[in-house]
Amino acid sequence: MTAVPPLDPNEPPPPARGLTSDERGRDVSAAQAEAEAETSTGMKMLKSMSPRFVLSQAEGYPVVIKQFLQFCLILIYPAWVFGILVMAAVYYPCYAVLWVLFWPVRAWMKKNRPEEYAASQKK
Amino acid sequence: MGLFNRSTGVQVSVTPEVVRPRNTVRAIVTTDKTIDKVSSVSLEWGYTNFYRYRWAGRADAAAGAMNDSWLMMDQVGTDAGSEKDTDDWVGVTKVDLPIGVNEFTGGSSSFTVPSWAPGSSEALARWSARVTVARGGRDIDVRGDFTVVIGPDDLEVTDAPQQRTAGDGDTVIEIVLPSLVFRAGETISGSVVLTPRKDMSDAELAIYWCWNRSSHPLVRTPAAGGGGKSGQTIKLGKGIPLRDGTPVTLPFEVPLPGDAPPTGEAVHSSLTWHLEASMMYSKWTQGIEKVRRQIVVVNAP
Repeated sequence: MTAVPPLDPNEPPPPARGLTSDERGRDVSAAQAEAEAETSTGMKMLKSMSPRFVLSQAEGYPVVIKQFLQFCLILIYPAWVFGILVMAAVYYPCYAVLWVLFWPVRAWMKKNRPEEYAASQKK
Repeated sequence: MGLFNRSTGVQVSVTPEVVRPRNTVRAIVTTDKTIDKVSSVSLEWGYTNFYRYRWAGRADAAAGAMNDSWLMMDQVGTDAGSEKDTDDWVGVTKVDLPIGVNEFTGGSSSFTVPSWAPGSSEALARWSARVTVARGGRDIDVRGDFTVVIGPDDLEVTDAPQQRTAGDGDTVIEIVLPSLVFRAGETISGSVVLTPRKDMSDAELAIYWCWNRSSHPLVRTPAAGGGGKSGQTIKLGKGIPLRDGTPVTLPFEVPLPGDAPPTGEAVHSSLTWHLEASMMYSKWTQGIEKVRRQIVVVNAP
């Protein structure tokens, strides 16, 4: 339901309103948006390991607080990189095992449901 | 006492104090004594818009990804406090008041409240005539407030389908209302029709009013939740049998508060009203059902 008053031709038009957070879309830094746009998980991890990505996490904070947060982010940077490397160390072996395990399923899909298979391979 | 005296010596009075859209108000500016060293005096009609915004950090930053998880429930470093209330001035019409030779002794201006004016309330907007005196010494910024009340004929209302906000929809809940527009202080009399799609356990039903403010600032980052308020829960029944093919109708009366802020849309925020019905099945595995129906609340006497 919209509660819109009938417009009068002799009056100034209503000033434009802004956008809600849903209408604006995701609120992320440029570095994070770049990393999220990558389709391959490896590139995503690599980009989120960059110092630029980590420092951009303090974006949007007022001056001084932002610099303090960036100082803290520099301190934890080795832990950040280590965390992502651990993630990769878990992700790739699991992916490889599942990839081999589901080989027959994929082969069956490729043979009997080619359109669905093609759609699942696209990311 | 020049140095610490903060009184400006300028008063703005607006008559009438309470107006409807499309009505005309008049502001009279008076001064205690002649104000000197004046370069210009302007009077701006408009409103102070109240809204919430996000002041700290990016809402979807990767570093805050785990903030909302139950692991972080009582920990520091969560997102709480990243949004706060603020207000901004929205000017509608600006007029320059005539001045003498670098002197200002008073003036007046008239203004027709536009038809799209959001109603005055502490939640959304405070209308005023704001006088700014630019001068050689300390500038003067004073305002005279007035109240815009909204009547049922100031809005063109079209119905929107009611929304289900929780539950599986195993029982269709329909809120039936005699009209869509209600006045503050009025009691809404309507009924709730429960239509079970299959045999369900007995249910408990309650209804309440709520208003929500959405945040959509022009410049600042919008807040995810703009704030709101809900009224007391009114229980409509307990142990209501829900059997397939037997719809149940329950009448309700929901009193609206006398100082209810009217429905309205401003530049940085909007206020919407809902009636929300909440039903709980006695078998806990069947959960709850919630629906909300949008209404319009006006406050003109």
